[in-house]
Amino acid sequence: MTMGTIRMARPLGRIRAYARFMGAAFAFNLKATLEYRVNFVLQFFGMLLNNAAFAAFWMVLIERTGAVGGYGFSDVMLVWAFVSTSFGLAHIVFGNVRHLGRIVMEGGLDVYLLQPKDVWVNVLSSRTIVSAWGDFAYGFIVLALTSGTDLQRFALFAALAVPGALIFAATFAAAESLAFFMGNSSAVSSALTEFMLSFSLYPEGIYGPGMRWALYSIVPSGFVAFMPLRVFKSLDWGLVPVLCLVAAVYVGLSYGLFRLGLGRYESGNRMDARV
Amino acid sequence: MRSGSLRTYSIAASTSMRERLAYPGNFAGSMFTYALFVFIFSRVWAGAYAGATEIAGYTMRMAVWYFIIAEIPSFGFGRFFWTLSRDMKSGQVAYLLARPYDFVSYNYAEKLGGSLAEAGVILAEGIAVGLLLVGLPPAAAPGAAGLASALSEAGRLGFLVVSLLLAGTLNYFLQAALAMTAFWPEENEAFFWIFQKLTLVVGTLIPIEFLPRWAARLAVWTPFPYLSYAPARIAVAFSLPEALSLVARQSLWIFAAVFLARAVFSFGSRRLSVNGG
Repeated sequence: MTMGTIRMARPLGRIRAYARFMGAAFAFNLKATLEYRVNFVLQFFGMLLNNAAFAAFWMVLIERTGAVGGYGFSDVMLVWAFVSTSFGLAHIVFGNVRHLGRIVMEGGLDVYLLQPKDVWVNVLSSRTIVSAWGDFAYGFIVLALTSGTDLQRFALFAALAVPGALIFAATFAAAESLAFFMGNSSAVSSALTEFMLSFSLYPEGIYGPGMRWALYSIVPSGFVAFMPLRVFKSLDWGLVPVLCLVAAVYVGLSYGLFRLGLGRYESGNRMDARV
Repeated sequence: MRSGSLRTYSIAASTSMRERLAYPGNFAGSMFTYALFVFIFSRVWAGAYAGATEIAGYTMRMAVWYFIIAEIPSFGFGRFFWTLSRDMKSGQVAYLLARPYDFVSYNYAEKLGGSLAEAGVILAEGIAVGLLLVGLPPAAAPGAAGLASALSEAGRLGFLVVSLLLAGTLNYFLQAALAMTAFWPEENEAFFWIFQKLTLVVGTLIPIEFLPRWAARLAVWTPFPYLSYAPARIAVAFSLPEALSLVARQSLWIFAAVFLARAVFSFGSRRLSVNGG
């Protein structure tokens, strides 16, 4: 084996190792979730119901007024589908993402620092959120109701939801990583989370041009909702890699912020165990 | 059934209110989310009214002010279920039952007292945000001037405050009835979610006049419009006969909700078994 092939094989091996690790974390979290079946079913249907209430609101409003901000009922429903599936997927796989700030603040990273896997990936994937399954499924249900069961559309929807989930997770993780610099950053991170989610769920056209730049940068609602809708409607597979690249940039920036903050981390001298 | 004096319940309410006001920072999260919702909905209504001046009898200014007022009960009185459920599930209920007061009334005074502080803060914020976004709410008596106008405005404000208090009370007793179902199945959140979403669709996010005619006719026979529609309607389309009718219907539903909460408590508390000390 030449030095070149060794250099190529090592990152590929690492990617495979992390994929196996995340698969194992996911399987473990899923088993833990299914231990409390009643809770799982309740949270699953509760989240479906929550989303359905807003669907009823939009149906009534658009029936009365016609399109709002350039979106008809099926457009609004598809935006909800993208946001809820991406948001759900982010919280199923990276369930700790919105607890990261509290973990940092309470000095709870020690247990992850002692383990061989990357701290960021390890801490984020060590929990799953039960209600996120309801969000995840909701998008597919809406898709089936609005666009039928065309396999190509399902595949495109799934392909667009993955970068969406990564952008959600990266943005939330970046907001939570501010805890390294600010101590208690919960107000800022909750605000950013609220902004991201709230702005993503309403038609793009209702926001003035002065706000649009924010929706494609600091609060990237454009990349998880509005752009996927345009790609989906035009069945333009060519833009999927572009969205993946955008997701990679957000993940890279979020990871960089976390590593920068980790240098300032102080142990809480806590006795924790992961079982 | 034990019954404490009115003084007991007033002290419980004022203590709870002072406790909430002692930590004003705790209001920040609700205030932020409320302002964000109002802003986004003002944009939604701007989009909806792009080609129309009036929809279902509401102008855009009325629709925005409607949302501002209709969201106050959600933010101020929307969490009774969780605190009561927590008491049920943690066993705190056993400690409270042994006290020399009526469990349902004491909890009403304590929980409503605390939430009034938050509702007051949200109302003040809503008025400020509304003025910034769309200016003054529509006049209570368009065309009237001088004393007649001032009396109408004072009447509207009075009815609005009464209607908000009744909305808080109705919210409490309905949520208490739902929370006390924890005497039977412990996982009772699903009941609350259904209640919460029906409240949201029937009169909070959108006035009931926007609903299809059959749905609006059905809605007025349920308690949901009296949780948020009633105060919001009084705020944006005040007329004395309608305000009286809305407040009367809120009161009737409160009687029904008190009866329901007491019945659930009466049957449920028999199932409680207390072990240890």
